[in-house]
Amino acid sequence: MDLISGLGELGVNTDEALARFMNNASLYERMLKKFPAAARDAKALECFQAKDYEKALAATHTLKGVTGNLSLTPLFKAYTDIVALLRADKPEEAEAMYMELIPTEEKIIGCIESCQ
Amino acid sequence: MNNAILIVDDMEINRVILAEGFRDEYEILEAENGIQAIELLNTNNNIAAVLLDLIMPEMDGMGVLKQMNESGRIVHTPVFIITAESSEKMLMDAYNLGAVDVINKPFMMNFLKCRIGNIIELYRHRNDLEDIVNEQVERLNKVNLSMVETLATLIEFRDCESGEHVKRICGLTEILMTAVSEMYPEYYLPRHEIEKIVTASILHDVGKIAISDSILNKPGRLTKEEFEIMKQHTTKGCDILTQIPDIMDNDIYNYSYDIARHHHERWDGRGYPDGLVGDDISIWAQVVAIADVYDALISPRVYKKAFDFETAVKMINDGECGTFNPKVLNAFNASADKIRFKE
Repeated sequence: MDLISGLGELGVNTDEALARFMNNASLYERMLKKFPAAARDAKALECFQAKDYEKALAATHTLKGVTGNLSLTPLFKAYTDIVALLRADKPEEAEAMYMELIPTEEKIIGCIESCQ
Repeated sequence: MNNAILIVDDMEINRVILAEGFRDEYEILEAENGIQAIELLNTNNNIAAVLLDLIMPEMDGMGVLKQMNESGRIVHTPVFIITAESSEKMLMDAYNLGAVDVINKPFMMNFLKCRIGNIIELYRHRNDLEDIVNEQVERLNKVNLSMVETLATLIEFRDCESGEHVKRICGLTEILMTAVSEMYPEYYLPRHEIEKIVTASILHDVGKIAISDSILNKPGRLTKEEFEIMKQHTTKGCDILTQIPDIMDNDIYNYSYDIARHHHERWDGRGYPDGLVGDDISIWAQVVAIADVYDALISPRVYKKAFDFETAVKMINDGECGTFNPKVLNAFNASADKIRFKE
């Protein structure tokens, strides 16, 4: 199965993303392949574990933008809520939601990396 | 024509998407943070628009907006905030700093291209109009100046002794106004005002057009009665200027009027036509007065030879040509080298 249809099965809105990428599927795939590194570099988990919520906000905010632009819809929705919870000074709820998000993110990253 | 788009975002993925959307129509410049963005803005004058992320390392989007405000660049270059931000306060702050539009991530590329393209067109149109207006203002100023110079030439034709007098008065006024303004804060004037005063000094003797040839060009000293008529060139100058207010900028007109009337007043009140005392005489009229006296001293007349520089300076300092403001005299003496060089 190719990457784009694989992601489609995981709830990624690939039609929307392709429109954003001017229907350039290969460019979309190239950018998707940059996502795993981008997600790891943001170090959101470390920030939550260190209770550094300011950095956690910056990290999840960045990932909200990237997942939105890549139309990784389930991740985008979760990051949007996490950012809102951090802004509302509810870090424990944000962290709990982030923990719930991790398996979904790993599935999507796994799908992307399996097509390298 | 401005044909580059500057994309500022710390995430490569976001930059690539935007670059792909605009690559066909624009040159693409990319920056990973605010500091790189400012460097690119400083070194490229063909940037038609900036697409700016808000949260970035080094310098964030607000920092870029602040710097663009300080440099004035924000007026001519539209900045679009492209952000995942939803904090109302932060977005309002961005608008208040001059951002033209806020576009949320994820964006739809087709709409984004339309919104940005429309604003770029508007800015191009506005910038072009501004250039046209500036050109026209410059042309108008040139025409005005040439009319003022034409008037001064007419006076020179009437008054055979004046030849280069007007040009020298302009040069002296420029030197003395600059010195007085720099030495005494109470007389400080910005550069563009001094330039207007220099232009206005051209017309200080415009009233001589109304003085009869027999007095104006008399080959000898004037009698008391003749001198009384000669003194009228100050008030007649104002009468003439009142008839032609539209040939010059309003400020230059006001300076010209004041200088024509008061360039023979003296600090102690013994000048004419109004016998004004001290700083009731405007600083520009005081400056043209001393310039006028100095130029008369170093020029030959039918009834006297030209004095040399040292003698002229001494006579002015000794009060032989009337009393001047001590501060204007100080500025005159401090500028002696420049004035002598002007000879």
